Amino acid sequence: MAIVKRKELSIGEKLYLPAIFRGLSMTFRQMFKKRVTRQYPEEPLPVNEVTRGQPRLAVNDDGTIRCVSCGLCEAACPAYAITIDGQETDRFIEREPERFDIDMLRCILCGFCEEACPKDAILMSDELELADFSREALIYDVERLKRPVSQLRPRLDYVYKVNERW
Amino acid sequence: MDMLISVLVILAKITCIFGGVITLAALTTLAERKVSAWIQFRHGPNRVGPWGILQPLADGVKFIYKEELVPDGANQVMFYLAPAMVAMPAMMGIAVLPFAAVSPLYQDTGPLAIANLDLSVLFILAFSGLSIYGVILGGWASNSKFSLLGALRASAQMISYELALLLSVAAILLMAGSANLVDIANDQQGSIFNWYIWKQPLAFLLFLIATFAETNRHPFDFAECEPELVAGFHTEYSSMRFALFFLGEYCAIIVMCAMTCTFFLGGFHVPFWADAPWFVQAGMFLAKICFFLFLFIWVRWTLPRFRFDQLMGLGWKTFLPLALLNLFVTGALVAAGVY
Repeated sequence: MAIVKRKELSIGEKLYLPAIFRGLSMTFRQMFKKRVTRQYPEEPLPVNEVTRGQPRLAVNDDGTIRCVSCGLCEAACPAYAITIDGQETDRFIEREPERFDIDMLRCILCGFCEEACPKDAILMSDELELADFSREALIYDVERLKRPVSQLRPRLDYVYKVNERW
Repeated sequence: MDMLISVLVILAKITCIFGGVITLAALTTLAERKVSAWIQFRHGPNRVGPWGILQPLADGVKFIYKEELVPDGANQVMFYLAPAMVAMPAMMGIAVLPFAAVSPLYQDTGPLAIANLDLSVLFILAFSGLSIYGVILGGWASNSKFSLLGALRASAQMISYELALLLSVAAILLMAGSANLVDIANDQQGSIFNWYIWKQPLAFLLFLIATFAETNRHPFDFAECEPELVAGFHTEYSSMRFALFFLGEYCAIIVMCAMTCTFFLGGFHVPFWADAPWFVQAGMFLAKICFFLFLFIWVRWTLPRFRFDQLMGLGWKTFLPLALLNLFVTGALVAAGVY
């Protein structure tokens, strides 16, 4: 059995008042220090090319969509968030999506679609904010998902850099 | 005609002083959240109005819209009455607080207070002692073990600390020779060194700490005591009834702060300016009250809570003998004509 020896307190310590004043001065000084809270809507989260935000469809500089509706991302998606219907096109790539829906309520931002895509057509953007008033509004169609490839270029470069390692 | 005018004067005073103190109580809830935020490197509420100044209003609206729950097996009548029994005595104390030496109102002689009683100290102390009934009834009527434990602790604490509070006030009453708050304030007129805090430092310390216990504030908030008792005596309360408990608590704090100012810091008197106009005196009084309100909040976010047996030990074994000693020494000095 262990016997705990308590330290004898001096009279100054028994009064507790000096300790209380020390504590009060401590908290008073804290009040003027820099605040650590992020004022979120005014002060957004820092994003860079590593940020794995919501998936977006890349659009070439001439305004044509890169996607050939091969369905690999649809198959890779673990949450079954992607629905694709393909159609023929006169362009060299011969196929393009007629319908490309991502249900953002199901999407788990895992990035498997980006990995599966053979055409670098679907990429994880740095867009993170997802809020709306109805479930229907959160099923994004092609028009909502399109982004010019120049905007997604940093992410594209990053994906290539990471894949080179393997 | 004179009758009518005096009634109007009283009504005007009630509206201004009561409304002012209730507004101050609402702002204190905001200040509580702001100061706690600053101490913890946060910003605090800042979305509702500039600097979050309308937050108390938003809270009030939210409270009104909340559902009023009454637990099974609760004593309906007492459960309904308890919040009012906490808030009412706390607000009654406002009636005798003097805000200036001379009232600016037409045909109104005497100080700027709703009522200038000769026994105003006794009046406030009696009502602040009454507010514990609301706490006990609220805790008992809730039919909840947490509420009952909180109420029991509150009552035991009240009895222990009311003694030290009254005895330290008694020393002040001996020195001033009056139980009227205006007389006590007038006795400390003029220089800053006429304040009783210099003549009665021990009484000041005892009174200040006892007010913390009296108003159930940290480090003596055993009536609420979140980690042990959920929320103590108001665990089962919701909606405006809970808000009324809150309002009563903050009104009691303001009244106690005003008492501390009047007893030890010269009350409404401005240092070195004996015949200051009424608004300067009222502003001075408010500034002193606000300093003590800040102290209450500051201490709450600095000190940890006592253990209950330590609280009782401190009250009975330290505060009571010290207050008695202080009273005897003061009495002997007053009798010897030193003061």
